[in-house]
Amino acid sequence: MQKLKDIQQNKSNNKSVLVIGGGVGGIRAALDLAESSRNVILIDKSYSIGGLMTQLDRTFPTNNCDLCTVSPHLSENTRQIHLDIQPMTQLEQLTGEAGNFMATLVTEPRYIDMDKCTACGECYKQFPEAVRFTPGLDPRAPTCMRYPQATPYAFSIDMEKVIDIKALQKVCKAGAIIPHDTQKKTTVEAASVVLSAGAQLFDPTVLDNFGSGQFDNVVTGLEYERIMSASGPFQGDLVRVSDKKRPKKVAWIQCVGSRGINKADVPYCSGVCCMYALKEAMVTKERFAESIEATIFYMDMRTYGKDYELYFNQAKNDYNVRMIRSRPHSIIENNKTKDLSITYAIEEGLQKTEEFDMVVLSTGFRVPETTIELANRLGIELNTHNFTKTDHFNSVQTSRPGVYVCGVIESPKDIPETMVQASAAASMAASDFPIAKDVSLAENEFMPERDVSMEALRIGVFICDCGLEIGGVVDVDKMVEFAGTRPDVVVSHAVGYGCSSESMIMIEASIKENKLNRVVIGGCSPRTHETKFQDLLRRAGLNKYLVEIVNLRDQNTWPHIGQPKEALDKAFKLLHIGINGVRKSRSLMDYTLPMSPNALVVGGGVTGMTAALQLANQGIKVYLVERDSSLGGLAKSIRKTIEGDDVGSFMTQLVNDVSAHEKIQVLTRTIIVDHSGMPGRFKTGIQSGPRMNYMQLNHGVTIFATGALPNRPDVYGLGTHDNIVTQLELDAVIEDDPDKIKSLNQVVMIQCVGSREPDNPNCSRVCCQAAIKNALRIKTINPDAQIFILYRDIRTYGFQEDYYREARNIGVVFTRFSLENRPEVKVENDQVSVFVDDIILGSKIQIETDCLALSTGMIADDETTEDLSMMFHLPRTMDNYFLEDHVKLRPVDMSVRGIFIAGTTHSPKTIRESITQAYAAAGRAQTLLGKKEINLGAAVAKVDGSKCAACLVCVRACPYSIPFINEDGYSQIDPAKCHGCGICAADCPAKAIQLLVYEDDQILAKLDYLFGGLN
Amino acid sequence: MENFEPEIVAFCCHYCAYTAADMAGSKHIYYPANVKIIRVPCTGKVDTIHIMKAFEKGADGVYVAGCLEGDCHFKNGNTRAKYRVEQVQNILKDLGWEIERLEMINMSAGMGERFASTALEFTKKIKQLGPSPIKIINTEKHQQVAD
Repeated sequence: MQKLKDIQQNKSNNKSVLVIGGGVGGIRAALDLAESSRNVILIDKSYSIGGLMTQLDRTFPTNNCDLCTVSPHLSENTRQIHLDIQPMTQLEQLTGEAGNFMATLVTEPRYIDMDKCTACGECYKQFPEAVRFTPGLDPRAPTCMRYPQATPYAFSIDMEKVIDIKALQKVCKAGAIIPHDTQKKTTVEAASVVLSAGAQLFDPTVLDNFGSGQFDNVVTGLEYERIMSASGPFQGDLVRVSDKKRPKKVAWIQCVGSRGINKADVPYCSGVCCMYALKEAMVTKERFAESIEATIFYMDMRTYGKDYELYFNQAKNDYNVRMIRSRPHSIIENNKTKDLSITYAIEEGLQKTEEFDMVVLSTGFRVPETTIELANRLGIELNTHNFTKTDHFNSVQTSRPGVYVCGVIESPKDIPETMVQASAAASMAASDFPIAKDVSLAENEFMPERDVSMEALRIGVFICDCGLEIGGVVDVDKMVEFAGTRPDVVVSHAVGYGCSSESMIMIEASIKENKLNRVVIGGCSPRTHETKFQDLLRRAGLNKYLVEIVNLRDQNTWPHIGQPKEALDKAFKLLHIGINGVRKSRSLMDYTLPMSPNALVVGGGVTGMTAALQLANQGIKVYLVERDSSLGGLAKSIRKTIEGDDVGSFMTQLVNDVSAHEKIQVLTRTIIVDHSGMPGRFKTGIQSGPRMNYMQLNHGVTIFATGALPNRPDVYGLGTHDNIVTQLELDAVIEDDPDKIKSLNQVVMIQCVGSREPDNPNCSRVCCQAAIKNALRIKTINPDAQIFILYRDIRTYGFQEDYYREARNIGVVFTRFSLENRPEVKVENDQVSVFVDDIILGSKIQIETDCLALSTGMIADDETTEDLSMMFHLPRTMDNYFLEDHVKLRPVDMSVRGIFIAGTTHSPKTIRESITQAYAAAGRAQTLLGKKEINLGAAVAKVDGSKCAACLVCVRACPYSIPFINEDGYSQIDPAKCHGCGICAADCPAKAIQLLVYEDDQILAKLDYLFGGLN
Repeated sequence: MENFEPEIVAFCCHYCAYTAADMAGSKHIYYPANVKIIRVPCTGKVDTIHIMKAFEKGADGVYVAGCLEGDCHFKNGNTRAKYRVEQVQNILKDLGWEIERLEMINMSAGMGERFASTALEFTKKIKQLGPSPIKIINTEKHQQVAD
């Protein structure tokens, strides 16, 4: 009874979060919210969701189709309960305030009943001019996004182009076409809003110097991706548009339309183009021909992300991608050959011209007019570049309380940063209404499961014709007849569209009526429809693992459409395999465990405190562990951000809030000494206080925010003279001793000190903006001071570019040096001098300086991450930062469920970026903590102790190091930790291990009847 | 042997090869119907007994299709599968069979074309090799019984 009350309360209390925009950011935010039991309405103006990422061929830095790795998560059951996806829908109006918004939504007519449409594609085939098919991701069919065919249900009709509606309706065997569909206006209650509307890519056809739109072989980066993509215009073959021949020389031109001052340019840096150009260049060589010459024309190589510098080095050294530092002037096309010649000036001032077969323009992000209008309707402010204006210490908080933002609409960024912001925005959005403990509605709707273990087999076979998709190739009646002759099959039926509501009801009734205890569905792929039929079995009172889906469509009638005889023979065999496989299936329990409701946050810096506070505000008990005697971390020593905000007062407020919060237990002078348990039920031992008292903490999730260390390499005379300081030390002097700053004549800053060097190859990300920040502050106090910044590449990504431009405008001198030719520092008679080769002047210059500031950046806290990685079984990067589970799509999740990372323990980043990641980690943690228990599925390895010889094969074979030899002397596999690959089961010499759902007798039964039984 | 239609079993991992097979289907790319797919969570799950059972039951060729190397959903299941395939090939060799009857193939989830082309190539190869020795023995036995 209590449970029912909970549900009712849940329903009335639970408002929705409105997520606007169905790109990767919007999807991530929506899934996070749905997983933490919040109702979500995800709207997108397009016909299907997926956004820009669906257009990409592969993504950096893995060069994979990474979405294939995570798309299965979209089919998880939780989303069905909490997630309402509304494509072709836009926000018209938002009234009210945080916690109590009313949103007016307008949905355009699709003219297709989504519940009836089976995505057979017949309408599209027959009326391609009137039926739209948008490549995108349909969440109900979670498949590879790169392939339009893999995104069923994404059809829609352009009614203006329909000539004969009757004919169109006739084509649809499912009767899904609604000719009189109309625009619908609805009003929904929303507690908060997440805006993830993305941006457009710049259209370079407005430029007159690069021939975009005029020359066939000049393409944009995105067009190049489409050409390389298997679903692209040339089926994945890299050819020139003009003659369909493979190019031999391809050039990339960076910053097209970005970092410029010309008419069509925007001043900011788009942040992602350097990486995608490197990716495209490498993929070109890797996939098509090593001999294709790839050249990138660039101004500064901005590979500032985690391990991105390694990617850049790989492109240069392993793939021999040619790098030319220049902003080309123009492209001229040869009328006959359609080859392209690029005119450019090199740094030394010489003008050069070179021929290429193909030129790729690396275009960046632009905010479209429609998004500006949307922002106006939402009542949120925009910045000077028309991106969303956000709080300086919270990158997802817009000017209107309750409205949050993520992704490119906030500032240009790549996918991992979009994912981080999405989780952060979801976390913030969830904080606008009270946490609702998971009450699994779906579970409650199901009747109790029947115990079938002692029953004789009663198999029901249901075969779809899927319109003509199956029935048009093979004779369904013959299959039904055949199945009916198999032993133990008591029901064999044709069901038309098996996945339609009508047929589902019919199958459910048949199961009950005929007391079926095994079910075979002959239809489409189990990848897309297994969950649907598993739910059907649960409704009918059967365990969900008693169904077998036979893939008669995707793997039979579709590929063998021209060979009906062979297809029928194969269909018989596939059905036979399915029927015999299902005999061996048994009722299985999904593993569940109660969650510990507490969180452990390790590290009391700005990141750890932000995450702790965010969780505590949701009513979650947090243990905040800090090894130092006080909270604050590295951010304590930073005075101002580049935007001019006072870090000190922000930190004081944060420390006070955290210390005063009743849900946070602050444990300073505390170290972690042991760790055990499983995701959702961790136990961590700590030693705390001056006497190092031992204590054990129980917690469901862990967030590591252990930070990084300020680097202090022994170079350029650091530590030998008072006038040689680090950028961090200079930051304090500027704030505390303005008189000293007023007295300075010549200031020199050297960048990449101890970073991007062979012993620390990565970029420290924050140093360029830190140097420019300090230079601007010095100039404000002392306008006469001469400032030289010696750099290798200026990496002021995004809007930081504004400050770089400002610094140049007020006379800060930027001089480039190369790794092979670093500046030299000499101290003579108490005078510090810097010698540097000026590439443009072509000679060595000497600068006498009264302040040499070294941009020393950050290094990983090797000792800490090593200790923790051993205790918690966490992977690390080459340079000892924690390595997240997936660098692209799961940037704050670790490979161990329930463990998250945030801040500079992940990689170097600014305070603002660390805070965003802290919110993201808190949000991801909430997705687990929002549940009462964790469902671990049923496909886990199970050991038969009596057969186990403790030979350790499984211990060595498991990719996740889960099996161990227990006290009784046999192998034990914790179902809570098992990933279900079955490698141990295959390797076990005694066959003591079985992978449930895929047990040997099931696989062997399928093979047994594969050929033999029929003849 | 002109009309010999081989029976081929393909053990396909859920995350890549099985998905690639679906892709081939949804793009209506032809491959021979001789290939019958058994779905496994990971090719690392494919056991020697599964492969040998398939041969025993009359498969003329068997292949194990997993994710691209370095791309395994379960980290290294496909490299373990590759090793296992080599092991079983050695067994086949000892039995005097052509090791080409068994193969490890890699592809990503999106590679419908590759699924189809490898299925086609493999089937062609097995056609050239002719029926599996087990089938020949069984046929001879039948003939002896008939005699």
